[in-house]
Amino acid sequence: MTGSGAPDVTGELREILARATGREELLRMSEQTPLFGDGVGLDSLTGTLLLREVHRRFGVDVAAEDLNLDALATLGALAAFIEERVPAHPGPAA
Amino acid sequence: MMVKCVIWDLDNTLLSGVYLESGSQPPAPDPAMLEAAAKLRSRGILHAIASRNPPEAAQYAAQATGLEFAAAECGWGRKSDAVRRIIVDLGLAPDAMAFVDDDLYERAEVSFAVPQVLVLSPEDMADAVGWPEFSPATVTAEARRRGEMYAERRRREKEARAFAGSRGEFLRYCGTEVTIAKAADADAPRLHELSVRTHQFNTGGEPVAEPELRRLIGSPEHQVTTVRLSDRFGDDGMVGGCVVQACADRTWTVTLLMMSCRAVGRGVIEALLAWLTGLAARGGAQVLAVPCLVSPRNVPLRLALAASGFRAAEGGSAGQPVAVFSRPLPGPPPEVPGWVTTPENQ
Repeated sequence: MTGSGAPDVTGELREILARATGREELLRMSEQTPLFGDGVGLDSLTGTLLLREVHRRFGVDVAAEDLNLDALATLGALAAFIEERVPAHPGPAA
Repeated sequence: MMVKCVIWDLDNTLLSGVYLESGSQPPAPDPAMLEAAAKLRSRGILHAIASRNPPEAAQYAAQATGLEFAAAECGWGRKSDAVRRIIVDLGLAPDAMAFVDDDLYERAEVSFAVPQVLVLSPEDMADAVGWPEFSPATVTAEARRRGEMYAERRRREKEARAFAGSRGEFLRYCGTEVTIAKAADADAPRLHELSVRTHQFNTGGEPVAEPELRRLIGSPEHQVTTVRLSDRFGDDGMVGGCVVQACADRTWTVTLLMMSCRAVGRGVIEALLAWLTGLAARGGAQVLAVPCLVSPRNVPLRLALAASGFRAAEGGSAGQPVAVFSRPLPGPPPEVPGWVTTPENQ
């Protein structure tokens, strides 16, 4: 949780990405890290796992709303895309 | 190990549609899955259901298919938990179970959580009924090979989970070899099969008949390409293909692009897109265009296109049925990894 009481979307995304890729160092990546290419190196498999987990946890279907998947440009861009759509997300039960 | 029970997903797997989206008339059983299930039942193999639906869906499936289900888990939890409950309910070993689901995520989740379970897509099922795991009496060379392929996949996935490096490093460690080649007439049956069976990586969504494929293979305006995949765990054979048309306005169009979901996560679609980009650039094209049906099923393909620098035209929306993804070609072509054999470097 951040100071404002908003859910830590960025933190949850880091956790999802670290699990999907098996790369623990992603738990410490900056918001500017690109998700494709040299950053996280998202591919069709890890990308599918990410999108499904985002849908499950936040109820946001990125692929349905964003034809070019621009929301996946960076970690920060994806967090902002989700936060715009779930302002009152209660956070994970666990 | 013989499979004693097949656990079926319902939506778009055992049923030819989505139960909750079908209104008053629930979707009919999928004819190919029903045929496979009936064959397996005749060999004494049990059936069970793991579905994200209310319990009525299982009752409907039993009535519509005429199959008896030894266990049914309906709910919105993880599929791996449903699979584990069925294993306990029936008192079977995890490696005596198969799980069939059309959804890549669900398959990955079950494979990860219960690795002993044989995890299959509906695409695999027509072949799978001939595998030794499902039929001790049938031991054709082909069936034996398919069974091996699954054993290979399980060994590969086990090592991938234990591997510390990046995915690219893992693919190199596996000795991954992707072979891109010009299609010959003899490739038409397998290309046809790919056009029928692939959904998650398919730009068209319509089957292409063998005579049409032979015409395209012989056509000077088209280039038909096959992609084969192997590594030190085994040979997957032809896993993908594409058709490219060179147009007069310096736009090259990929009129069909398809890949088996068996090859997902192994760098194949990325290698193919990188090679196509270089090919079009060398051929004098300014733009490489990929018209693509936009559906929830082929999101993995859209991810691959986005990762490879393709974008749909401005003003496009995710609601339209077909979007043209394209990539301007001036600029450095993407690197084709060293483990990819192409017609140019053969």
